[in-house]
Amino acid sequence: MTALVADKLIVKRGNATLLNGLSLSLGPTGSVAVIGPNGAGKSTLLKVLAGIEAPTSGRVLLGDRDLAGLSHATRAHALGFVPQQFDPHWDLSVDELIRMGAERGERVLQGAVDRVIADFELEALGRRRWSTLSGGERARVLLATVLVVDPPVLLADEPAASLDIRHRLGVIQSLAARGRERLSMVVVHDLDLAFSYFDRIVLVDRGSVVADAPARTLLEDPCLDAAFGVRFDRLQTDDGWLLRARL
Amino acid sequence: MRSWASLCLVLLLAIIVAACAGHDWASPGEVLRAIAGDPSLGARLLVDWRIPRVLAAALVGALLGLGGAVFQGVFRNPLAEPYLLGSAGGAALGATVALLVPLAVPQSVILPVLAFAGAWGATVLVIGISRVSGAVDAAGMLLAGVAVAAILGALRSFLMLALSDETVSLQIVLSWVLGGVQTPSWPGLGLLAVISAACLALTLLFARGLDMLGLGETMATSFGLNVPRFIMLAVLAGSVVVAAAVAFGGLVAFVGLAAPHVARWLMGPLHKPLLPASALVGAIVVTVADAIARSALPPAEIPLGLVTAVAGGPFFILLLARRLRT
Repeated sequence: MTALVADKLIVKRGNATLLNGLSLSLGPTGSVAVIGPNGAGKSTLLKVLAGIEAPTSGRVLLGDRDLAGLSHATRAHALGFVPQQFDPHWDLSVDELIRMGAERGERVLQGAVDRVIADFELEALGRRRWSTLSGGERARVLLATVLVVDPPVLLADEPAASLDIRHRLGVIQSLAARGRERLSMVVVHDLDLAFSYFDRIVLVDRGSVVADAPARTLLEDPCLDAAFGVRFDRLQTDDGWLLRARL
Repeated sequence: MRSWASLCLVLLLAIIVAACAGHDWASPGEVLRAIAGDPSLGARLLVDWRIPRVLAAALVGALLGLGGAVFQGVFRNPLAEPYLLGSAGGAALGATVALLVPLAVPQSVILPVLAFAGAWGATVLVIGISRVSGAVDAAGMLLAGVAVAAILGALRSFLMLALSDETVSLQIVLSWVLGGVQTPSWPGLGLLAVISAACLALTLLFARGLDMLGLGETMATSFGLNVPRFIMLAVLAGSVVVAAAVAFGGLVAFVGLAAPHVARWLMGPLHKPLLPASALVGAIVVTVADAIARSALPPAEIPLGLVTAVAGGPFFILLLARRLRT
Protein backbone atom coordinates (compact mmCIF):
# COMPACT_ATOMS: atom_id res chain seq x y z
CA MET A 1 0.00 0.00 0.00
CA THR A 2 1.27 3.46 -0.87
CA ALA A 3 0.39 6.77 0.70
CA LEU A 4 1.93 9.22 -1.69
CA VAL A 5 3.09 8.75 -5.27
CA ALA A 6 4.83 11.21 -7.55
CA ASP A 7 4.22 10.19 -11.13
CA LYS A 8 6.58 11.64 -13.80
CA LEU A 9 6.50 15.13 -12.32
CA ILE A 10 7.75 17.90 -14.57
CA VAL A 11 7.88 21.48 -13.29
CA LYS A 12 9.00 24.30 -15.56
CA ARG A 13 9.24 27.92 -14.51
CA GLY A 14 10.19 30.17 -17.41
CA ASN A 15 13.15 28.53 -19.12
CA ALA A 16 14.21 26.54 -16.07
CA THR A 17 13.23 22.92 -15.54
CA LEU A 18 12.96 22.43 -11.79
CA LEU A 19 11.66 18.86 -11.82
CA ASN A 20 12.49 16.66 -14.76
CA GLY A 21 10.13 13.67 -14.91
CA LEU A 22 10.57 12.78 -11.24
CA SER A 23 8.82 9.65 -9.95
CA LEU A 24 8.70 8.46 -6.35
CA SER A 25 6.57 6.14 -4.29
CA LEU A 26 6.15 6.48 -0.53
CA GLY A 27 4.48 4.12 1.93
CA PRO A 28 2.02 5.07 4.68
CA THR A 29 4.78 5.01 7.31
CA GLY A 30 8.48 5.67 7.31
CA SER A 31 11.01 8.44 7.81
CA VAL A 32 12.39 9.69 4.52
CA ALA A 33 15.16 12.24 4.19
CA VAL A 34 15.47 14.17 0.93
CA ILE A 35 19.04 15.27 0.25
CA GLY A 36 20.76 16.89 -2.69
CA PRO A 37 22.83 19.91 -3.68
CA ASN A 38 21.42 23.45 -3.85
CA GLY A 39 18.99 23.95 -6.72
CA ALA A 40 18.42 20.20 -7.11
CA GLY A 41 14.65 20.64 -6.83
CA LYS A 42 14.11 19.44 -3.25
CA SER A 43 11.91 22.34 -2.17
CA THR A 44 9.95 22.26 -5.43
CA LEU A 45 9.38 18.52 -5.01
CA LEU A 46 8.02 19.04 -1.51
CA LYS A 47 5.71 21.87 -2.55
CA VAL A 48 4.32 19.84 -5.45
CA LEU A 49 3.80 16.81 -3.19
CA ALA A 50 2.01 19.06 -0.69
CA GLY A 51 -0.25 20.42 -3.43
CA ILE A 52 1.02 23.98 -2.94
CA GLU A 53 2.45 24.21 -6.45
CA ALA A 54 0.94 22.50 -9.47
CA PRO A 55 3.27 20.48 -11.70
CA THR A 56 3.59 21.44 -15.38
CA SER A 57 2.84 17.82 -16.16
CA GLY A 58 2.61 14.57 -14.23
CA ARG A 59 0.51 14.01 -11.14
CA VAL A 60 0.62 13.30 -7.43
CA LEU A 61 -1.50 10.51 -5.98
CA LEU A 62 -2.61 10.61 -2.35
CA GLY A 63 -3.70 7.05 -1.60
CA ASP A 64 -5.37 6.19 -4.88
CA ARG A 65 -6.73 9.65 -5.62
CA ASP A 66 -5.25 12.42 -7.72
CA LEU A 67 -4.18 15.28 -5.46
CA ALA A 68 -5.36 17.85 -8.02
CA GLY A 69 -8.91 16.51 -7.72
CA LEU A 70 -9.14 16.78 -3.93
CA SER A 71 -10.80 19.69 -2.15
CA HIS A 72 -8.52 22.21 -0.48
CA ALA A 73 -9.84 21.21 2.93
CA THR A 74 -9.21 17.47 2.42
CA ARG A 75 -5.72 18.17 1.19
CA ALA A 76 -4.97 20.51 4.09
CA HIS A 77 -6.10 17.84 6.52
CA ALA A 78 -4.10 15.00 4.95
CA LEU A 79 -0.84 16.78 4.17
CA GLY A 80 1.07 18.73 6.78
CA PHE A 81 3.63 21.11 5.29
CA VAL A 82 6.43 22.81 7.18
CA PRO A 83 8.00 25.58 5.08
CA GLN A 84 11.68 26.44 4.99
CA GLN A 85 10.91 29.94 6.19
CA PHE A 86 7.90 31.07 8.14
CA ASP A 87 7.32 34.75 8.79
CA PRO A 88 3.75 35.51 9.83
CA HIS A 89 2.80 39.03 8.79
CA TRP A 90 0.88 39.78 11.95
CA ASP A 91 2.32 39.21 15.39
CA LEU A 92 0.12 36.32 16.48
CA SER A 93 0.33 34.62 19.86
CA VAL A 94 1.27 30.95 20.19
CA ASP A 95 -2.30 30.03 21.17
CA GLU A 96 -3.74 31.86 18.16
CA LEU A 97 -1.32 30.14 15.77
CA ILE A 98 -2.02 26.64 17.06
CA ARG A 99 -5.73 27.38 17.04
CA MET A 100 -5.48 28.37 13.36
CA GLY A 101 -3.64 25.15 12.63
CA ALA A 102 -6.40 23.22 14.38
CA GLU A 103 -9.15 25.03 12.49
CA ARG A 104 -8.10 23.57 9.16
CA GLY A 105 -9.48 20.20 10.32
CA GLU A 106 -13.15 19.36 10.02
CA ARG A 107 -13.66 20.60 13.55
CA VAL A 108 -11.42 21.82 16.31
CA LEU A 109 -10.69 19.13 18.86
CA GLN A 110 -9.65 20.75 22.13
CA GLY A 111 -7.98 17.47 23.08
CA ALA A 112 -5.75 17.68 20.02
CA VAL A 113 -4.76 21.26 20.88
CA ASP A 114 -3.91 20.26 24.46
CA ARG A 115 -1.99 17.19 23.32
CA VAL A 116 0.17 19.07 20.84
CA ILE A 117 0.88 21.79 23.42
CA ALA A 118 2.04 19.08 25.84
CA ASP A 119 4.04 17.21 23.16
CA PHE A 120 6.00 20.29 22.19
CA GLU A 121 6.26 21.66 25.74
CA LEU A 122 4.52 24.90 24.87
CA GLU A 123 2.48 25.29 28.08
CA ALA A 124 4.47 28.31 29.20
CA LEU A 125 4.41 30.03 25.81
CA GLY A 126 0.64 30.24 25.16
CA ARG A 127 0.19 34.00 25.36
CA ARG A 128 3.61 34.95 24.02
CA ARG A 129 3.66 36.64 20.64
CA TRP A 130 5.66 35.28 17.70
CA SER A 131 8.10 38.22 17.67
CA THR A 132 9.19 37.44 21.24
CA LEU A 133 10.05 33.77 20.60
CA SER A 134 13.57 32.41 20.15
CA GLY A 135 14.50 30.39 17.05
CA GLY A 136 14.09 27.08 18.87
CA GLU A 137 10.72 28.09 20.31
CA ARG A 138 9.56 29.21 16.85
CA ALA A 139 10.49 25.83 15.36
CA ARG A 140 8.51 24.02 18.06
CA VAL A 141 5.48 26.30 17.65
CA LEU A 142 5.55 25.89 13.86
CA LEU A 143 5.70 22.09 14.14
CA ALA A 144 2.89 22.11 16.69
CA THR A 145 0.76 24.32 14.41
CA VAL A 146 1.23 21.95 11.47
CA LEU A 147 0.90 18.72 13.46
CA VAL A 148 -2.11 19.67 15.59
CA VAL A 149 -4.49 17.94 13.16
CA ASP A 150 -2.17 14.88 13.12
CA PRO A 151 -1.91 14.69 9.32
CA PRO A 152 -1.08 11.23 7.90
CA VAL A 153 1.66 12.76 5.75
CA LEU A 154 4.19 15.32 6.93
CA LEU A 155 6.37 17.17 4.42
CA ALA A 156 9.00 19.36 6.05
CA ASP A 157 11.45 21.60 4.22
CA GLU A 158 14.57 21.98 6.38
CA PRO A 159 12.71 23.39 9.35
CA ALA A 160 15.81 23.14 11.56
CA ALA A 161 18.42 24.52 9.19
CA SER A 162 19.02 27.77 11.06
CA LEU A 163 18.88 26.37 14.60
CA ASP A 164 21.79 25.61 16.89
CA ILE A 165 22.84 21.98 17.09
CA ARG A 166 20.82 21.04 20.18
CA HIS A 167 17.55 22.42 18.83
CA ARG A 168 18.32 21.05 15.36
CA LEU A 169 18.82 17.57 16.83
CA GLY A 170 15.58 17.87 18.77
CA VAL A 171 13.55 18.87 15.72
CA ILE A 172 15.14 16.30 13.39
CA GLN A 173 14.69 13.52 15.94
CA SER A 174 11.03 14.26 16.50
CA LEU A 175 10.41 14.45 12.74
CA ALA A 176 12.19 11.13 12.15
CA ALA A 177 10.40 9.51 15.10
CA ARG A 178 7.09 10.45 13.56
CA GLY A 179 7.99 8.07 10.70
CA ARG A 180 7.29 5.08 12.96
CA GLU A 181 3.55 5.65 12.76
CA ARG A 182 3.07 8.09 9.88
CA LEU A 183 4.85 9.18 6.75
CA SER A 184 7.45 11.81 7.50
CA MET A 185 9.44 13.25 4.62
CA VAL A 186 12.03 15.87 5.44
CA VAL A 187 14.48 17.86 3.36
CA VAL A 188 17.73 17.65 5.36
CA HIS A 189 20.88 19.62 4.62
CA ASP A 190 23.06 18.05 7.27
CA LEU A 191 24.01 14.69 5.73
CA ASP A 192 25.17 13.17 9.01
CA LEU A 193 21.78 13.87 10.56
CA ALA A 194 20.05 12.43 7.49
CA PHE A 195 22.04 9.20 7.59
CA SER A 196 21.84 8.86 11.36
CA TYR A 197 18.14 9.31 11.94
CA PHE A 198 16.22 8.45 8.76
CA ASP A 199 15.36 4.98 7.39
CA ARG A 200 15.31 5.94 3.79
CA ILE A 201 17.24 8.52 1.79
CA VAL A 202 16.11 10.05 -1.47
CA LEU A 203 18.96 11.75 -3.34
CA VAL A 204 17.69 14.40 -5.74
CA ASP A 205 19.86 16.10 -8.34
CA ARG A 206 18.91 18.25 -11.33
CA GLY A 207 15.22 17.60 -10.89
CA SER A 208 15.40 13.82 -10.79
CA VAL A 209 15.80 11.10 -8.19
CA VAL A 210 19.40 9.89 -8.50
CA ALA A 211 19.20 7.31 -5.73
CA ASP A 212 16.48 6.06 -3.42
CA ALA A 213 17.67 3.52 -0.87
CA PRO A 214 17.96 2.68 2.83
CA ALA A 215 20.44 4.95 4.56
CA ARG A 216 23.03 2.20 5.08
CA THR A 217 23.05 1.24 1.36
CA LEU A 218 23.16 4.76 -0.02
CA LEU A 219 26.00 5.73 2.28
CA GLU A 220 28.40 3.55 0.30
CA ASP A 221 27.12 4.53 -3.13
CA PRO A 222 29.58 6.66 -5.13
CA CYS A 223 26.66 8.56 -6.69
CA LEU A 224 26.55 10.51 -3.43
CA ASP A 225 30.00 11.97 -4.18
CA ALA A 226 29.02 12.70 -7.78
CA ALA A 227 25.79 14.49 -6.87
CA PHE A 228 27.44 16.83 -4.38
CA GLY A 229 30.61 17.27 -6.48
CA VAL A 230 32.93 16.31 -3.61
CA ARG A 231 34.84 13.30 -2.35
CA PHE A 232 33.45 11.91 0.93
CA ASP A 233 35.58 10.15 3.55
CA ARG A 234 33.28 7.67 5.28
CA LEU A 235 34.42 7.45 8.86
CA GLN A 236 33.03 4.71 11.07
CA THR A 237 32.16 5.62 14.63
CA ASP A 238 30.79 3.56 17.51
CA ASP A 239 27.18 3.85 16.43
CA GLY A 240 27.21 4.94 12.80
CA TRP A 241 29.08 6.77 10.11
CA LEU A 242 30.41 10.24 9.65
CA LEU A 243 30.89 11.90 6.29
CA ARG A 244 33.78 14.25 5.73
CA ALA A 245 33.77 16.12 2.44
CA ARG A 246 36.87 17.01 0.44
CA LEU A 247 37.03 18.94 -2.78
CA MET B 1 -14.39 42.94 26.68
CA ARG B 2 -13.10 46.14 28.25
CA SER B 3 -11.75 47.34 24.90
CA TRP B 4 -15.14 46.82 23.26
CA ALA B 5 -16.95 48.68 26.00
CA SER B 6 -14.53 51.60 25.85
CA LEU B 7 -14.71 51.78 22.04
CA CYS B 8 -18.52 51.89 22.10
CA LEU B 9 -18.47 54.46 24.89
CA VAL B 10 -16.02 56.69 23.04
CA LEU B 11 -18.15 56.44 19.88
CA LEU B 12 -21.25 57.42 21.84
CA LEU B 13 -19.44 60.39 23.37
CA ALA B 14 -18.12 61.40 19.95
CA ILE B 15 -21.62 61.28 18.48
CA ILE B 16 -23.04 63.39 21.32
CA VAL B 17 -20.27 65.97 21.06
CA ALA B 18 -20.62 66.04 17.26
CA ALA B 19 -24.38 66.53 17.57
CA CYS B 20 -23.72 69.55 19.77
CA ALA B 21 -20.98 70.95 17.54
CA GLY B 22 -21.64 73.11 14.54
CA HIS B 23 -22.21 76.62 13.30
CA ASP B 24 -24.48 77.13 16.30
CA TRP B 25 -23.43 75.04 19.27
CA ALA B 26 -26.21 73.15 21.00
CA SER B 27 -26.08 71.87 24.58
CA PRO B 28 -26.44 68.10 25.17
CA GLY B 29 -29.77 68.92 26.83
CA GLU B 30 -31.05 70.61 23.68
CA VAL B 31 -29.96 67.62 21.60
CA LEU B 32 -31.77 65.21 23.92
CA ARG B 33 -34.91 67.38 23.94
CA ALA B 34 -34.82 67.53 20.13
CA ILE B 35 -34.63 63.75 19.92
CA ALA B 36 -37.48 63.49 22.41
CA GLY B 37 -39.66 65.53 20.05
CA ASP B 38 -39.29 69.19 20.97
CA PRO B 39 -41.29 71.07 18.27
CA SER B 40 -39.18 74.28 18.32
CA LEU B 41 -37.41 75.34 15.11
CA GLY B 42 -33.94 74.83 16.59
CA ALA B 43 -34.81 71.30 17.65
CA ARG B 44 -36.31 70.51 14.21
CA LEU B 45 -33.13 71.71 12.54
CA LEU B 46 -31.08 69.46 14.80
CA VAL B 47 -33.21 66.40 14.05
CA ASP B 48 -33.59 67.03 10.32
CA TRP B 49 -30.07 68.22 9.55
CA ARG B 50 -27.42 67.78 12.15
CA ILE B 51 -28.17 64.39 13.70
CA PRO B 52 -28.55 62.56 10.35
CA ARG B 53 -25.31 64.19 9.25
CA VAL B 54 -23.50 63.05 12.40
CA LEU B 55 -24.78 59.49 12.09
CA ALA B 56 -23.92 59.42 8.38
CA ALA B 57 -20.39 60.55 9.24
CA ALA B 58 -20.09 57.72 11.78
CA LEU B 59 -21.29 55.16 9.23
CA VAL B 60 -18.99 56.46 6.48
CA GLY B 61 -16.12 56.23 8.97
CA ALA B 62 -17.12 52.68 9.87
CA LEU B 63 -17.10 51.72 6.18
CA LEU B 64 -13.68 53.31 5.68
CA GLY B 65 -12.27 51.48 8.71
CA LEU B 66 -13.75 48.21 7.51
CA GLY B 67 -12.43 48.65 3.97
CA GLY B 68 -8.99 49.53 5.30
CA ALA B 69 -8.86 46.42 7.49
CA VAL B 70 -9.82 44.21 4.53
CA PHE B 71 -7.23 45.76 2.21
CA GLN B 72 -4.44 45.64 4.80
CA GLY B 73 -5.35 42.01 5.48
CA VAL B 74 -5.33 41.04 1.81
CA PHE B 75 -2.10 42.82 0.96
CA ARG B 76 -0.47 42.13 4.33
CA ASN B 77 1.03 45.54 4.03
CA PRO B 78 0.51 47.94 6.91
CA LEU B 79 0.81 50.82 4.46
CA ALA B 80 -1.93 49.50 2.17
CA GLU B 81 -5.12 51.46 2.15
CA PRO B 82 -8.45 51.26 0.34
CA TYR B 83 -7.51 53.90 -2.19
CA LEU B 84 -4.45 52.06 -3.33
CA LEU B 85 -6.23 49.80 -5.78
CA GLY B 86 -7.71 52.56 -7.87
CA SER B 87 -11.19 52.13 -6.42
CA ALA B 88 -11.21 55.66 -5.05
CA GLY B 89 -9.82 57.00 -8.32
CA GLY B 90 -12.60 55.20 -10.17
CA ALA B 91 -15.20 56.56 -7.79
CA ALA B 92 -13.87 60.08 -8.19
CA LEU B 93 -13.99 59.73 -11.98
CA GLY B 94 -17.60 58.53 -11.80
CA ALA B 95 -18.53 61.42 -9.54
CA THR B 96 -16.81 63.93 -11.82
CA VAL B 97 -18.84 62.64 -14.75
CA ALA B 98 -22.02 62.87 -12.68
CA LEU B 99 -21.26 66.44 -11.62
CA LEU B 100 -20.04 67.82 -14.94
CA VAL B 101 -21.89 65.95 -17.71
CA PRO B 102 -25.51 67.03 -18.08
CA LEU B 103 -27.60 63.89 -17.66
CA ALA B 104 -31.34 63.28 -17.56
CA VAL B 105 -31.21 61.71 -14.10
CA PRO B 106 -31.15 63.89 -10.95
CA GLN B 107 -27.63 64.37 -9.59
CA SER B 108 -28.47 63.06 -6.12
CA VAL B 109 -29.24 59.67 -7.68
CA ILE B 110 -26.64 59.50 -10.41
CA LEU B 111 -23.66 60.58 -8.27
CA PRO B 112 -23.66 57.62 -5.84
CA VAL B 113 -24.46 55.25 -8.70
CA LEU B 114 -21.63 56.45 -10.92
CA ALA B 115 -19.20 56.68 -7.98
CA PHE B 116 -20.07 53.12 -7.08
CA ALA B 117 -19.73 51.96 -10.69
CA GLY B 118 -16.38 53.74 -11.01
CA ALA B 119 -14.97 52.11 -7.86
CA TRP B 120 -16.21 48.71 -8.91
CA GLY B 121 -14.99 49.10 -12.50
CA ALA B 122 -11.52 50.23 -11.45
CA THR B 123 -11.12 47.25 -9.12
CA VAL B 124 -12.30 44.80 -11.78
CA LEU B 125 -9.85 46.44 -14.19
CA VAL B 126 -6.99 46.00 -11.70
CA ILE B 127 -7.86 42.35 -11.13
CA GLY B 128 -8.16 41.85 -14.89
CA ILE B 129 -4.75 43.36 -15.56
CA SER B 130 -3.02 41.30 -12.90
CA ARG B 131 -4.78 38.18 -14.22
CA VAL B 132 -3.76 38.75 -17.83
CA SER B 133 -0.17 39.43 -16.81
CA GLY B 134 -0.26 36.30 -14.66
CA ALA B 135 0.52 38.12 -11.41
CA VAL B 136 -2.54 37.31 -9.32
CA ASP B 137 -0.66 37.82 -6.08
CA ALA B 138 -0.74 40.71 -3.69
CA ALA B 139 2.34 42.43 -5.11
CA GLY B 140 1.13 42.18 -8.72
CA MET B 141 -2.26 43.63 -7.82
CA LEU B 142 -0.69 46.41 -5.82
CA LEU B 143 1.42 47.44 -8.84
CA ALA B 144 -1.54 47.28 -11.22
CA GLY B 145 -3.60 49.28 -8.70
CA VAL B 146 -1.07 52.08 -8.40
CA ALA B 147 -0.85 52.33 -12.20
CA VAL B 148 -4.63 52.34 -12.68
CA ALA B 149 -5.05 54.93 -9.92
CA ALA B 150 -2.56 57.23 -11.66
CA ILE B 151 -4.34 56.87 -15.01
CA LEU B 152 -7.76 57.50 -13.47
CA GLY B 153 -6.47 60.57 -11.64
CA ALA B 154 -5.15 62.02 -14.89
CA LEU B 155 -8.44 61.27 -16.66
CA ARG B 156 -10.35 63.04 -13.92
CA SER B 157 -8.13 66.10 -14.13
CA PHE B 158 -8.60 66.16 -17.89
CA LEU B 159 -12.39 65.92 -17.55
CA MET B 160 -12.40 68.71 -15.02
CA LEU B 161 -10.44 70.96 -17.38
CA ALA B 162 -12.37 70.02 -20.51
CA LEU B 163 -15.94 69.94 -19.21
CA SER B 164 -16.22 72.72 -16.67
CA ASP B 165 -16.88 76.03 -18.37
CA GLU B 166 -17.72 77.79 -15.17
CA THR B 167 -15.83 77.86 -11.93
CA VAL B 168 -18.93 76.92 -9.92
CA SER B 169 -19.13 73.32 -11.13
CA LEU B 170 -15.38 72.94 -10.77
CA GLN B 171 -15.71 73.94 -7.14
CA ILE B 172 -18.45 71.36 -6.60
CA VAL B 173 -16.23 68.61 -8.01
CA LEU B 174 -13.31 69.80 -5.97
CA SER B 175 -15.25 69.83 -2.71
CA TRP B 176 -16.48 66.32 -3.40
CA VAL B 177 -12.99 65.07 -4.25
CA LEU B 178 -11.70 66.62 -1.03
CA GLY B 179 -14.24 64.59 0.89
CA GLY B 180 -17.33 65.55 2.77
CA VAL B 181 -20.31 63.70 4.17
CA GLN B 182 -23.56 64.77 2.54
CA THR B 183 -26.44 65.34 4.93
CA PRO B 184 -28.84 62.50 4.17
CA SER B 185 -32.61 62.35 4.63
CA TRP B 186 -33.72 59.89 7.32
CA PRO B 187 -34.64 57.23 4.68
CA GLY B 188 -31.26 57.87 3.03
CA LEU B 189 -29.58 57.37 6.40
CA GLY B 190 -31.54 54.12 6.83
CA LEU B 191 -30.22 52.92 3.49
CA LEU B 192 -26.66 53.78 4.52
CA ALA B 193 -27.14 51.92 7.82
CA VAL B 194 -28.40 48.83 6.01
CA ILE B 195 -25.49 48.97 3.55
CA SER B 196 -23.00 49.37 6.39
CA ALA B 197 -24.43 46.38 8.30
CA ALA B 198 -24.37 44.30 5.11
CA CYS B 199 -20.75 45.32 4.50
CA LEU B 200 -19.76 44.25 8.00
CA ALA B 201 -21.50 40.89 7.56
CA LEU B 202 -19.88 40.44 4.14
CA THR B 203 -16.36 41.20 5.32
CA LEU B 204 -16.72 38.98 8.41
CA LEU B 205 -17.09 36.05 5.99
CA PHE B 206 -13.49 36.72 4.99
CA ALA B 207 -12.10 36.95 8.55
CA ARG B 208 -10.70 33.43 8.78
CA GLY B 209 -9.21 33.53 5.28
CA LEU B 210 -7.53 36.86 6.06
CA ASP B 211 -6.00 35.31 9.18
CA MET B 212 -4.65 32.41 7.14
CA LEU B 213 -3.32 34.74 4.45
CA GLY B 214 -1.36 36.48 7.21
CA LEU B 215 0.70 33.29 7.59
CA GLY B 216 2.05 33.82 4.06
CA GLU B 217 0.70 32.49 0.80
CA THR B 218 2.52 29.16 1.05
CA MET B 219 1.24 28.38 4.54
CA ALA B 220 -2.25 29.64 3.66
CA THR B 221 -2.32 27.26 0.70
CA SER B 222 -1.11 24.36 2.82
CA PHE B 223 -3.85 25.19 5.33
CA GLY B 224 -6.42 24.74 2.58
CA LEU B 225 -7.01 28.29 1.33
CA ASN B 226 -7.43 28.75 -2.41
CA VAL B 227 -5.20 31.82 -2.33
CA PRO B 228 -5.66 33.41 -5.80
CA ARG B 229 -9.43 33.00 -5.64
CA PHE B 230 -9.61 34.27 -2.08
CA ILE B 231 -7.52 37.37 -2.83
CA MET B 232 -9.76 38.21 -5.77
CA LEU B 233 -13.01 37.79 -3.81
CA ALA B 234 -11.66 39.68 -0.80
CA VAL B 235 -10.51 42.58 -2.99
CA LEU B 236 -13.94 42.72 -4.60
CA ALA B 237 -15.61 42.71 -1.18
CA GLY B 238 -13.22 45.41 0.02
CA SER B 239 -13.97 47.58 -3.00
CA VAL B 240 -17.72 47.24 -2.41
CA VAL B 241 -17.12 48.64 1.06
CA VAL B 242 -14.91 51.45 -0.25
CA ALA B 243 -17.38 52.26 -3.02
CA ALA B 244 -20.18 52.63 -0.47
CA ALA B 245 -17.99 54.86 1.71
CA VAL B 246 -16.96 57.01 -1.25
CA ALA B 247 -20.48 57.30 -2.62
CA PHE B 248 -21.72 58.71 0.70
CA GLY B 249 -18.62 60.56 1.89
CA GLY B 250 -16.42 61.51 -1.04
CA LEU B 251 -12.69 60.89 -0.88
CA VAL B 252 -11.72 60.87 2.78
CA ALA B 253 -8.02 60.24 3.23
CA PHE B 254 -6.09 58.30 5.89
CA VAL B 255 -9.02 56.86 7.88
CA GLY B 256 -8.77 53.54 6.03
CA LEU B 257 -5.06 53.53 6.74
CA ALA B 258 -5.12 54.53 10.38
CA ALA B 259 -8.22 52.82 11.79
CA PRO B 260 -7.00 49.22 11.30
CA HIS B 261 -3.71 50.03 13.03
CA VAL B 262 -5.42 51.47 16.08
CA ALA B 263 -7.82 48.52 16.12
CA ARG B 264 -4.88 46.09 15.92
CA TRP B 265 -3.23 47.73 18.93
CA LEU B 266 -6.46 47.30 20.87
CA MET B 267 -7.65 43.88 19.72
CA GLY B 268 -4.65 42.00 18.33
CA PRO B 269 -4.27 40.84 14.76
CA LEU B 270 -7.08 38.26 14.37
CA HIS B 271 -9.61 39.58 11.89
CA LYS B 272 -12.85 38.50 13.54
CA PRO B 273 -12.45 41.09 16.30
CA LEU B 274 -10.29 43.36 14.14
CA LEU B 275 -12.90 44.08 11.44
CA PRO B 276 -15.67 45.38 13.74
CA ALA B 277 -13.11 47.15 15.95
CA SER B 278 -11.62 48.88 12.92
CA ALA B 279 -15.13 49.96 11.88
CA LEU B 280 -15.70 51.42 15.37
CA VAL B 281 -12.40 53.31 15.32
CA GLY B 282 -13.14 54.63 11.83
CA ALA B 283 -16.58 55.76 13.00
CA ILE B 284 -15.09 57.62 15.96
CA VAL B 285 -12.43 59.33 13.84
CA VAL B 286 -14.79 60.51 11.10
CA THR B 287 -17.47 61.62 13.56
CA VAL B 288 -14.95 63.84 15.33
CA ALA B 289 -13.31 65.02 12.09
CA ASP B 290 -16.69 65.90 10.59
CA ALA B 291 -17.61 67.85 13.72
CA ILE B 292 -14.38 69.81 13.38
CA ALA B 293 -15.03 70.34 9.66
CA ARG B 294 -18.47 71.80 10.44
CA SER B 295 -17.58 73.97 13.41
CA ALA B 296 -13.97 75.15 13.12
CA LEU B 297 -14.45 78.01 10.65
CA PRO B 298 -18.13 79.03 10.72
CA PRO B 299 -19.98 79.71 8.57
CA ALA B 300 -17.66 77.97 6.09
CA GLU B 301 -17.22 74.22 6.17
CA ILE B 302 -13.74 72.74 5.82
CA PRO B 303 -13.68 69.71 3.51
CA LEU B 304 -13.64 66.57 5.68
CA GLY B 305 -10.80 65.05 3.64
CA LEU B 306 -8.58 67.99 4.55
CA VAL B 307 -9.26 67.54 8.27
CA THR B 308 -8.48 63.81 8.19
CA ALA B 309 -5.40 64.40 6.03
CA VAL B 310 -4.02 67.08 8.36
CA ALA B 311 -4.54 64.76 11.33
CA GLY B 312 -3.67 61.58 9.42
CA GLY B 313 -0.49 62.81 7.77
CA PRO B 314 1.47 62.94 11.04
CA PHE B 315 0.05 59.53 11.95
CA PHE B 316 1.32 58.13 8.67
CA ILE B 317 4.78 59.60 9.29
CA LEU B 318 4.80 58.15 12.81
CA LEU B 319 3.91 54.76 11.36
CA LEU B 320 6.72 54.93 8.83
CA ALA B 321 9.17 56.00 11.50
CA ARG B 322 8.20 53.11 13.78
CA ARG B 323 8.53 50.70 10.88
CA LEU B 324 11.93 51.99 9.88
CA ARG B 325 13.17 51.70 13.44
CA THR B 326 12.24 48.04 13.84
